[in-house]
Amino acid sequence: MMSAAFLCCASSNAMAALEVFACEPEWASLASEIGGDKVKTFSATHARQDPHFIKARPSLISKVRRADLIVCSGADLEIGWLPLLLERAGADVQRGAVGNLMAYQYVPLLDIPTMIDRSLGDIHPDGNPHIHLDPRNLLLVGKELLNRLVLIDEGNSDFYKLRFAQFETKLNTAIARWLEEGKQLKGMQVMTKHKSLSYLIKFFGLEEVASLEPRPGLPPTSSHLAKVLESVGSRNVRAIIRAPYESDRGIDWITSKTKIKNVIIPYTVDGDDNSGDLFALFDRSLAILKSAL
Amino acid sequence: MLRIKFAALTCLLVILGSSPLWAASDQEVELLRAEIAAMKAAHEERILLLEAKLEEVAVAKVAAKSEASSDEIIAVAPIRPATNRRQIKKNLFNPSIGLIFNGQYTQHETAEGEIAGFAVGHEGERGGEGFAIDHTELTFSSSIDDKFFGSLTAAIVKHEGKTEIELEEAFIQTMPGLGLPTGASIKAGRFLATIGYLNEHHTHTDDFTDRPLPYRVFLDGGYNDDGLQATYVLPTDFYAEIGGGLFRGDDYPFGGSDGEGIDAWTAYARTGGDIGENQSWRLGGSVLSGKSTTGRESNHELVSYVGDTDLYIADARYTWAPTGNATNQEFALQGEFFWKEEDGFYSDAESGADSVLMDDSSEGWYTQATYKFARNWRFGARYSQLNAADVPTGLIGSHLDGEGYNPKAYTAMFDWTNSEFSRVRLQYNREELASGQGDDQIMLQYIMSIGAHAAHKY
Repeated sequence: MMSAAFLCCASSNAMAALEVFACEPEWASLASEIGGDKVKTFSATHARQDPHFIKARPSLISKVRRADLIVCSGADLEIGWLPLLLERAGADVQRGAVGNLMAYQYVPLLDIPTMIDRSLGDIHPDGNPHIHLDPRNLLLVGKELLNRLVLIDEGNSDFYKLRFAQFETKLNTAIARWLEEGKQLKGMQVMTKHKSLSYLIKFFGLEEVASLEPRPGLPPTSSHLAKVLESVGSRNVRAIIRAPYESDRGIDWITSKTKIKNVIIPYTVDGDDNSGDLFALFDRSLAILKSAL
Repeated sequence: MLRIKFAALTCLLVILGSSPLWAASDQEVELLRAEIAAMKAAHEERILLLEAKLEEVAVAKVAAKSEASSDEIIAVAPIRPATNRRQIKKNLFNPSIGLIFNGQYTQHETAEGEIAGFAVGHEGERGGEGFAIDHTELTFSSSIDDKFFGSLTAAIVKHEGKTEIELEEAFIQTMPGLGLPTGASIKAGRFLATIGYLNEHHTHTDDFTDRPLPYRVFLDGGYNDDGLQATYVLPTDFYAEIGGGLFRGDDYPFGGSDGEGIDAWTAYARTGGDIGENQSWRLGGSVLSGKSTTGRESNHELVSYVGDTDLYIADARYTWAPTGNATNQEFALQGEFFWKEEDGFYSDAESGADSVLMDDSSEGWYTQATYKFARNWRFGARYSQLNAADVPTGLIGSHLDGEGYNPKAYTAMFDWTNSEFSRVRLQYNREELASGQGDDQIMLQYIMSIGAHAAHKY
């Protein structure tokens, strides 16, 4: 919201804005928070798309070719399309270059597999890539994003530093508030569809009892669902939580047999009508989880 | 811990600061209590913040052991950020290795499957019946250094009873580190030329078991030749790409190159974009032009051709994800049109035609649609057709004489994709390739891959 306001008023005297290509909406949002009107952000995916599985479509080739900085989750989340795009992009955004920021490299990762084998499903050898759902990770990635912006566009370094400082303060305050207001969620038992919400679960201290996918990325089977249902019998599971892009396959079956609620977490910016920026995303996620309690 | 210490400290300060304590009235005690409560409340938030910060700092320390404070980083940050925490493994420099298994069971209704009126190469012929493993593809690829990338794809195939290795691709490609203009790249070696839509794709990524008729007759499945190709993505806001290549001229529709000079060249232009959030499209036009100097063999070595061939291709593709999420539902429409001009001499050992001049054109096209109706399931349909050239008197009765018939093929397929690495497909073809001939075909196919698997193009 703030960046949009900035954009409308300062565009007349703005020089060519830095083009930031974000693989997912959360990173586009983070780049606008820090870059303000000095950056022009573009997100390759929207909240209803599964970032694992989009195609390297023509429009993305031209966007990435023009980008000064690309920001992605990494950890193989974009392995099906980003390598093809990078083949067509400039040297400044290639792997290892200043203009290539893979967020997973700057945060502690969850779910690092001890065994790597394709029979185990959709395995990410580096760990779970859905890192943005722990807001503390946004600070870590934001700090690195600031470093990159300053290196690429030194002339505006004071501007970026100031905006990052403001963002940092605002986010720290918000984190304290989310933790305080989310205290009652500690230990709340939930089931998940996929490992896409692990970081949110950790942040609020929820307890993940089971996953409807027998193995990451593999759709639920009836035998697995039956097992899941059996295992929740004695527990106090409140909800099955999932991202908007994840199908509800198997969920109705469980919810019809139990009092467990079917809950969609916005997952990323614009994941629902009330998640317009990163702050709203967590406010909304917190409210949804509390109402499911 | 922090909170207890703070409370004790506050009490101590209060005790020391307010004297004489023993003389304090009840009112004073209440006041002090209120003051402490206020201080507690004020600092509670601060402590929470500090705790959050502490955790964050601890976390940051793990993430970037060698990093100093953020201000210092900005001042002395290395040009290449080196905070990748991946473990160094001994085989890290090994190339990516991938293997594609492709097996099928085929049943044809008729014994004959020749395409009337066309010179057809080995790969363009109707496939065999029964159980068979088609191309088993082995790919090695890796960046060579900071400036070059290399890739090799070899297919293990059975050809006339013998198991052979066909070198499908072996090329090097420049990487952005070389310093070519952004968006520009050069490929050299043997590779699938960038023309049309399907040509640069390996057959295992196709939506159907076999290639459509125009690919079979005009490109013998696909044009992969030895040469050099340059591509350039224009710096425009919408996608636009141009490119072209120079080739030896040894692969179908050419052949028999004596290596003197450059016998074939290509050129292409493409554009594409999005319509709203959930639809994408691409359009392209390309040319493949060259000559066969010492003779191109086809139709089981019965037909040979010496002369010029120009092939013009227009291609289009459109995709739509009705719910925004292509993982669960996606519709794709695709088509290509071919126009081929030949000016040269045909000989046909069977009809006895010897170096008959032919200067005419033929056409072919296909259109296909696929629909993914659930995460793992798709169905699709395809229609392809050819229009043969009119033959000169000398070629009447030869393989090139289609007697005015237009070969056509109807296809329907249904496939199940368990993961990105495995797919099983059932396909039905009705091929009417010559006058009065109709062949119903059933194909059951699996395509599976192990190891590294390159991302698929749009």
